[in-house]
Amino acid sequence: MAQFKIPDTDYMYSGHVGCPGCGATIAMKFALKAMGEKTMVVIPACCWGVIAGPYPQSSLKVPILQAAFATAGATASGLRAALDMKGDSETTVMAWAGDGGTFDIGIQALSGAAERNEDFIYVCYDNEAYMNTGVQRSSATPFGTRTTTTPGKGWKKSRKKNMVEILAAHRIPYAATASIAYPEDMIQKFEKARRMKGGTRFLHVFATCPTGWRIPSEMSVKIARLAVQSNVFPLYEVENGVDYTINVKGNRPVTDYLKIQGRFKHLTDEDFEQIQDMVNEDWELLLRKTISGQKG
Amino acid sequence: MKQVLEGSHAVSEAVRLAKVQVMSAYPITPQTHIVEALSEYCSDGTMNARFLCVESEHSAMAAVIGASSAGVRTFTATSSQGLALMHELLHWTSAARLPVVMAEVNRALAPGWNIWMDQTDSLAQRDTGWIQFYCEDGQEVLDTTLMAYRLAETVNLPVMVVLDAFFLSHTFEPVDIPDQRLVDRFLPPLSPRIALDTSDPFAMGQMAPPNIYMEMRHDIQKAMEQVPDIFIKVEEEFGEIFGRTYGMVEKVYCDDAQIIMVMTGTAASTCRKVISDLRSQGEKVGMLKLKMFRPFPLNLMREHLGHVQKIAVVDRNFSFGASGIFAQEIRAALHNNQNHPPVFGYIAGLGGRDVTPEILTEIYWKTKNNTVPIDESVWVGLVD
Amino acid sequence: MESGLKHAEKISLFISRSNISTEINKTGTWRYVRPIYNEKTAPCSAACPAGEDIARIEMLSNQGRYHDAAKTILLENPFPAVCGRVCFHPCETVCNRSGFDDSVAIHRVERFIGDNAIQNELTPKLKKFPDNGKTVCIVGAGPAGLAAGYFLSLLGYSCDIYEAQPEPGGILRWGIPRYRLPDGVVTSEIERIKKSGVNIICNTPITQSFLQDIKDRYHAVFIGCGHGQSLKMNIPGETMAIDGLEFLNDLRKGKAVPFNGTAAVIGGGNTAIDVARSLVRLGTATTLVYRRRKQDMPAFKDEVEMAQKEGIIIKELYSPIEINKDNSEYVLSLQKMKTSDMETDRGRARVIPDGQVTQQLRVQKIIVAIGAEPSALWQLPSYENAGTLNLSHCSFTISDPPLLLGGDLTNTIKSVTDAIASGKQAAMALDTFFKQGKHAITDRLNSCLVGNGPALSMECYMGGKRLTRDSQIVSSEDINLDYFYQAPRVESESIAVDKRINSFDEIEATFTNNQAMEETRRCFNCGVCNACDNCRIFCPEIAVIYKGSERQINLDYCKGCGICVFECPRNAMDLEEEL
Repeated sequence: MAQFKIPDTDYMYSGHVGCPGCGATIAMKFALKAMGEKTMVVIPACCWGVIAGPYPQSSLKVPILQAAFATAGATASGLRAALDMKGDSETTVMAWAGDGGTFDIGIQALSGAAERNEDFIYVCYDNEAYMNTGVQRSSATPFGTRTTTTPGKGWKKSRKKNMVEILAAHRIPYAATASIAYPEDMIQKFEKARRMKGGTRFLHVFATCPTGWRIPSEMSVKIARLAVQSNVFPLYEVENGVDYTINVKGNRPVTDYLKIQGRFKHLTDEDFEQIQDMVNEDWELLLRKTISGQKG
Repeated sequence: MKQVLEGSHAVSEAVRLAKVQVMSAYPITPQTHIVEALSEYCSDGTMNARFLCVESEHSAMAAVIGASSAGVRTFTATSSQGLALMHELLHWTSAARLPVVMAEVNRALAPGWNIWMDQTDSLAQRDTGWIQFYCEDGQEVLDTTLMAYRLAETVNLPVMVVLDAFFLSHTFEPVDIPDQRLVDRFLPPLSPRIALDTSDPFAMGQMAPPNIYMEMRHDIQKAMEQVPDIFIKVEEEFGEIFGRTYGMVEKVYCDDAQIIMVMTGTAASTCRKVISDLRSQGEKVGMLKLKMFRPFPLNLMREHLGHVQKIAVVDRNFSFGASGIFAQEIRAALHNNQNHPPVFGYIAGLGGRDVTPEILTEIYWKTKNNTVPIDESVWVGLVD
Repeated sequence: MESGLKHAEKISLFISRSNISTEINKTGTWRYVRPIYNEKTAPCSAACPAGEDIARIEMLSNQGRYHDAAKTILLENPFPAVCGRVCFHPCETVCNRSGFDDSVAIHRVERFIGDNAIQNELTPKLKKFPDNGKTVCIVGAGPAGLAAGYFLSLLGYSCDIYEAQPEPGGILRWGIPRYRLPDGVVTSEIERIKKSGVNIICNTPITQSFLQDIKDRYHAVFIGCGHGQSLKMNIPGETMAIDGLEFLNDLRKGKAVPFNGTAAVIGGGNTAIDVARSLVRLGTATTLVYRRRKQDMPAFKDEVEMAQKEGIIIKELYSPIEINKDNSEYVLSLQKMKTSDMETDRGRARVIPDGQVTQQLRVQKIIVAIGAEPSALWQLPSYENAGTLNLSHCSFTISDPPLLLGGDLTNTIKSVTDAIASGKQAAMALDTFFKQGKHAITDRLNSCLVGNGPALSMECYMGGKRLTRDSQIVSSEDINLDYFYQAPRVESESIAVDKRINSFDEIEATFTNNQAMEETRRCFNCGVCNACDNCRIFCPEIAVIYKGSERQINLDYCKGCGICVFECPRNAMDLEEEL
């Protein structure tokens, strides 16, 4: 009996050029199982821009519109408007961007679209750095990480931007985190987002990058699970910017998650403690936002 | 039906008549009246269209690219800084072969802030693969915008309809607004060659490695090379229905001219008066109004300019470190021609400074009185 | 109107527009390691003396496939309902789940499957070798003999089992009390063995003269006569004590009567406990006297615990010295013992008298159960010459005809399951001897070991699918605990302690279907693929595909990332180097 009950049909092909163990490809696989064939995917510059397949190939069974780096939010808005004008109310537009195209160069277009409550699903698959260009830091790179632009002693000293909170502040109907290690949860959230037509739905998906995080490829899913289990990447949903639901409560120390990744190899025990404090603080903040957290 | 229209509204009326379906723009003086009028048309139902109020010009072009990729008729408008911000996406639209039409109001680039007439903004985008038309008056703006759709949708290249800031955009003139039914005859609904479709899925914009990219680029140029012929056909039809044509260039007293002044935009209007005056003084002068700048009408330029003694080009723009851009392109066009008369380049009217009849007259005499150009570019009207 | 549009067809539109599937890229060339499905041996199945494929049995049970689960047991053990009651479940001791929360209740599940098979009259069709025309004489219809007959018959032999008692079963029928093993269960499972073609001839003790010309009638002899004779204490007054085995035998024949008095049971093995617990059910206040410590008692630990719960007092470190009569009572004189530093060869503490301290116990009955040995007829000399092969659970003498001894006669651990194991081992050894000669026996049997042995698999011997199972034993570190959540062991309904001794009814009820489902869900299925589909779900290349109902790696695309192997909760996959 299957461990996870998920839809069977795939809308992705084998033969794509994702690195072995790529979390972003697992994420797309799950996402499309939920989204189905009436989906158009807008992909700005990112790893998936390449994984989508070099000309004349495509690795997906649904239409793809590749777009310039900063434009996922805007291109998806335009595409949606056109489909509306054509009377197509069945197709869902799904922007599929990396953390660069969401947190940094793409944040303006995303914020603009969210403020206009554009009718599409925006997915950020987050591998926590500009991986496609060679592992440079992004504002999604967590505190403590070594990347090629935060190397050596210059490891990243600023915290990861909280994109879900930023979008919750836009009061969009739905913003949620998801993880490749929790397939049922992720697919349910995508299905929920797909059904919630009419406004902006944002999904922040944790996508392990064995290549960039310096971990063995086989641990790709395990690391994603540890991130949730240690509350580094909590799984939660925000509806209408105010109703918070936490899906999984973790209880492992952050060191379980950090110590097995090459990108954190340089951290000392004090650093781990500091990170644990930061994670605890963020977790407390999150708890307070849930209804049960407010009562307590 | 003739109405007194502001230049901006000549654009918006054409867009309305063209039954554009998705528009997106970011306001920037002096384009604002265009987008405000279109917003109102969407709001009151005059147009059955969506107007996306995006948060920057870059996003405006991105939204239009998204919409056009789904196979609907689109429009945007901008100017100056906005056009510069869109630059990356101008390249994108043309290489994606999307039939987008944009109204571009020629305005100076900052710093310092200057909202007035200057051509550097649109000319700086001459490499982006957009067809460019420079318009002289409100009627031409309206007509060109309608023709732009027909042309764009035939060749699958985007078209920029350029009008002068304030001198055209905010000037009121009588303009004939054609009947919707006639426009429908001229411009049927878009039958797109590119339209994303879930029932026939394909991917747009995938990585194009070295073994294929050059062919794709060559294909754009091949389409560009066919534009002149197609434009002639489009204008023929337009002329038959609406009774007006403009040509890619317009000759005024060129056939026996010894000196031809090459003009674009509203300054061409001023020049008509100056030419007329000079002619009455016995001067063998003519004006070539350049309407289509991209694709550059190489053959026409050679044909019409090759036989004269001197060519005076008036640029309301400049490419720093080189020269006025129209002059540059004309020199290049004539270089390999058997007949290549000297090109006298003049820079005038930057940043909203008026190009007066006096300036144009001065330019004529400077040209006549010098055997060869004294400088690659002569700046006229500078205050010391 | 069309002239402009007409040109549209002539305008070429060579853009980056793609619709060829990436499936033309055979990314399998990227690999330098490849995943393989490699089922391994669960520790429970290696610890089971009968080598049952327990991980698979739990899986099939959880899938509701009770017929297949029963068949899987019956391939290795004809007595699931019996063992599900009387086995000492060494499987549970090594269960990988015990470090996580509690071991899986394998014992109770086996009982459930066995009872379910009896209740629904399931007769799974097992593979059987064709009749080879050879006959085997089996002495003793106890678990060893019955198992030997069962397995030999699967291998194509005709077997006659001779039993001295009126009914077959041996210790199952005549030794183990009803509250542990009801009659009906024994009868049903022996019926199944009879249906496999085994003849059982009761009321027929075998004599030496019968054995002398046995070769005229049989091609081989298996002796599983058990230890039917109690050991003597060799103390004065011994004859006043009742023999424990006889007591149990009478009890089974319905000859025992309730007795409200007091009794002492001497001994520390399962028989002693059986006697004591039977006595309390007859109403007797019972004290068990054992010469060593409680923890040294050879009886199964649960049995000892149950005995104590039922009010039996255990006097440890007392050895009987003398029995005297005093009117209606017996006086049992006991010598206090203490542990010395020395150990016996079995690791139990050697006890020595503790000075002159004695005690006297006054009881109305004394029953002795200090151990047993083969009855006189079966005091066979051990054949230590080169003609005898001593295997783990039987001995094989290459005489004419071949003579095999099994069960309690040869086993170190004297349990029902070990007896069954010896029947199986004897059957395999005999069959190998006939087909390949005595030199092949050791290697052939080694090829059927479950894990490192000593358990053997008949399924493997007969060429079944289990032969492909890797003998590497899955340890608890190999289990991916991320996929399991703590859940307590399911408890069966059982009679309240104070009510148990009111009858000889079974104390624990069999699992219900729901309980069996719940409990088998806890099983990790170590080393055995249970179709959880993790490998297929997580594969980034969509390179795990179905081949019928099984999974297969699509080597055209597999990049060897290893996620499938890592996310397999139960170590049923490995990564091997790409050649």
